[in-house]
Amino acid sequence: MVPFLAKFYNLDRRWLYLAMVVILSVPVIVQIPLPPGATSATTQGLYDLVESCPEDKVILIDSSWDAGSASENRAELECVIRHICRKKIKFVVTSAGVTVFGPEFANQVIEPIAREAGYVYGEDWINLGYKVAPGSIGLLIDAICKDLHSVYPTDYRGTFVSEFPVMDRVKSYKDFAFVYCVTYQPDNAWISFVKGQFDVPVAFGCMTIAAPGYYTFIDSKQLAGMLIGNRGAAEYEELNHKPGLGRILIMATSFGNLMIILAAVVGNLGFYAARALERNARGGTAR
Amino acid sequence: MNEPLTIWVGAIVTLAVFSYLAKENAFYRFIQHAALGVTVGMGIVMTIQQVLWPNWAQPITMAVKSVIRGSGSAKGLLWVLALVPGSLWYFQMSKKHFWVSTLVSGLFIGVAAGLAFKTWMLLIMPQIGASLKPLNPFEGGFTLDRFLEVGSNFIFMASLLTALLYFFFSFSTESKLMGKPMRFGRLMIMVCLGGMFGSTVMTRLSYLLERMRFLYQDWIRDQVGGLFTWLWHQVAALLGG
Repeated sequence: MVPFLAKFYNLDRRWLYLAMVVILSVPVIVQIPLPPGATSATTQGLYDLVESCPEDKVILIDSSWDAGSASENRAELECVIRHICRKKIKFVVTSAGVTVFGPEFANQVIEPIAREAGYVYGEDWINLGYKVAPGSIGLLIDAICKDLHSVYPTDYRGTFVSEFPVMDRVKSYKDFAFVYCVTYQPDNAWISFVKGQFDVPVAFGCMTIAAPGYYTFIDSKQLAGMLIGNRGAAEYEELNHKPGLGRILIMATSFGNLMIILAAVVGNLGFYAARALERNARGGTAR
Repeated sequence: MNEPLTIWVGAIVTLAVFSYLAKENAFYRFIQHAALGVTVGMGIVMTIQQVLWPNWAQPITMAVKSVIRGSGSAKGLLWVLALVPGSLWYFQMSKKHFWVSTLVSGLFIGVAAGLAFKTWMLLIMPQIGASLKPLNPFEGGFTLDRFLEVGSNFIFMASLLTALLYFFFSFSTESKLMGKPMRFGRLMIMVCLGGMFGSTVMTRLSYLLERMRFLYQDWIRDQVGGLFTWLWHQVAALLGG
């Protein structure tokens, strides 16, 4: 048994890569239903924000992600848009300062859901497009909150926003129900300016890797809610009663996590087995 | 975006990048260099398209057109003056006249510092207030929920204070009075770092998963499968014909 385990100590890492690919392929190809866990307070916070959104207000969604973080941001945007459309709330989409591909990726997610919900572009929602943040994103956020029309005179296709009825309802932060920022790692300036300066609730959808840094803002109520990666999206889909991409991806991630735990255990056993064999070879006793 | 050619190129590039896991190879290096070139090229185009044109060149051209037509405002011509501070940056290339560039860089540093100060004040001040948590379980009547909340607050306060203590340079970790709290603080920091590491693993997994979903659904199922179906129909039509 010991020599067998010792083989895992110097296992060619390519076997691990292969095992990971095989294990992750299964839930991607065949959907395996696992029971959902409890909803975290961060997810519930965002869900409650949408639920309690007044009819005369508009939600500002900053969708600043592209292929680089689509693995988690796509599901985070999809589930919230689905909820907003179900509640028939109007929304405005921006892509502030992160990626020029933001509007295109946002449209890929939003358009089919909006169409299905009977939303009309320009009347119920609008995509204002990408805006560069020269120097600091804080300045851009500040300007968006003070006068949205001056920052975005046109939508992402270059049509003047004055031609769209939805933009008559939204001029500044006073018209925002809340701001939902979906990106790899949302800038703290959203909290500083939108919540700190204008007292408008802020929620984030971020990559799991970025989430630990935002928990303190949840605790201090500077952030009203947060979707943490695919887990957050899956929890939101459960609240929506509409399982989607988040559910599929988090199931597969669970398999990957199990694989990593198993690899860590087997690798450690291999380490001890190799050490025991080495001692044995030097004249000691293998334990 | 979802055009077949985009998907095929995406799939081939993905496989080329993954091929590095098996062995360093020329295909991977080619894609790596191509990606770097595309990024730099795109950066230049985006700077012109998203910054220089709409914010600087467009107002000037519109103002020039207004002047020629004799109607509208010529205010946009003022943007020509931006060339003066903008060109000062290029004095960084001169050893003799480097100081000229500090006029404009000083201005930028001042703006950035002021903005950073405002940002951090708005961010951190509420954090300090929120760090003061109630520790009396009997306040407002004793309940189990209240007791658990106070317990959580105790852990929070202990973690906060001991983690701060750990970074005090003047206390020795061997100190009888401070040693144990500092070790507890270090333990809490390690727990936090462990949580961050777990989050990192989750994110890396989701990256891989997204690419696999793309390869399977968008490429193999929709494109490769579609291609085989088309070929099958062609062969069937030929045989039938």
